[in-house]
Amino acid sequence: MVDPRTVEARFNIADGYYLYRDKIHFAAEPATAGLSVPTLPAGIVKEDAFFGHVETYRGSVVVNLALTSVKPGEQVVIAAESQGCADIGLCYPPTIQRVAVPIPEASIVPGKAEQAKKSWFQ
Amino acid sequence: MTRSRRTLLFALAGLMALVAGVGLALWDRHTPDARALLALSLPDTTGEQQPLKQWQGKVLVVNFWATWCGPCRDEMPEFVRAQRELGPDGLQVVGIAIDQRDKVVSFAKELDLNYPALIAGYETMDVAKPLGDALLGLPFTVVLDRRGHVAHTQLGPMKPAQLRTIVRRLL
Repeated sequence: MVDPRTVEARFNIADGYYLYRDKIHFAAEPATAGLSVPTLPAGIVKEDAFFGHVETYRGSVVVNLALTSVKPGEQVVIAAESQGCADIGLCYPPTIQRVAVPIPEASIVPGKAEQAKKSWFQ
Repeated sequence: MTRSRRTLLFALAGLMALVAGVGLALWDRHTPDARALLALSLPDTTGEQQPLKQWQGKVLVVNFWATWCGPCRDEMPEFVRAQRELGPDGLQVVGIAIDQRDKVVSFAKELDLNYPALIAGYETMDVAKPLGDALLGLPFTVVLDRRGHVAHTQLGPMKPAQLRTIVRRLL
């Protein structure tokens, strides 16, 4: 967590692979956590013969997710969905990765709070 | 024939039967089983159910694909060509699209698809796992001989020459 209400989601994409920008989705469980997903960063633009304008990501992508109505001490699960292909010519089904994020207690002094970063490995 | 010789002959016959049985069992385990694939029945682009069994007796090329899979789209013109040229000799290509119907209809029209495009969800790809696609990657192609046995599987795009060679051998 970047701060008590922000989760940094990082996709580490292996060499030779890419993810589709429009196939990245986030959800929070419980839904009452009030997940707010910003506009995703711009990707590498490609003009696809069938789909037209397509954006892909390589290397790593960071998205800051806001949890607007979590309660301190609550446990929230972030579900991140992504889909991509390998340069060798193989595409994979959508994958959902779930990470449990404990929300810091209100009693923790800001600035001294442990900043846990959750990352997903592709 | 003496009794001991008869016993020996029976023992030998028994041993041979055992070896043949074990040999067959081992061979079966190494040859992927297409029965689950052939048992599938999926809707085509008009919504009509198409059981795969209807194409038994043909050299069947089952290609799992999706419109969102660039490599899948790139290899399909070759399947169209093969179907056109070798269809009269008994080739049947069947595409199983892990996709939404409207996108498949649109792309099939663009390609002037001359073989069935069946619509499926990811759960259908469970049949692909024992055939060699554990991670459900696309494209994935299975070639069956006229008796419904697996002759070849391909994870990733098929090279045109490779497809022709394999299919011609089976026709």
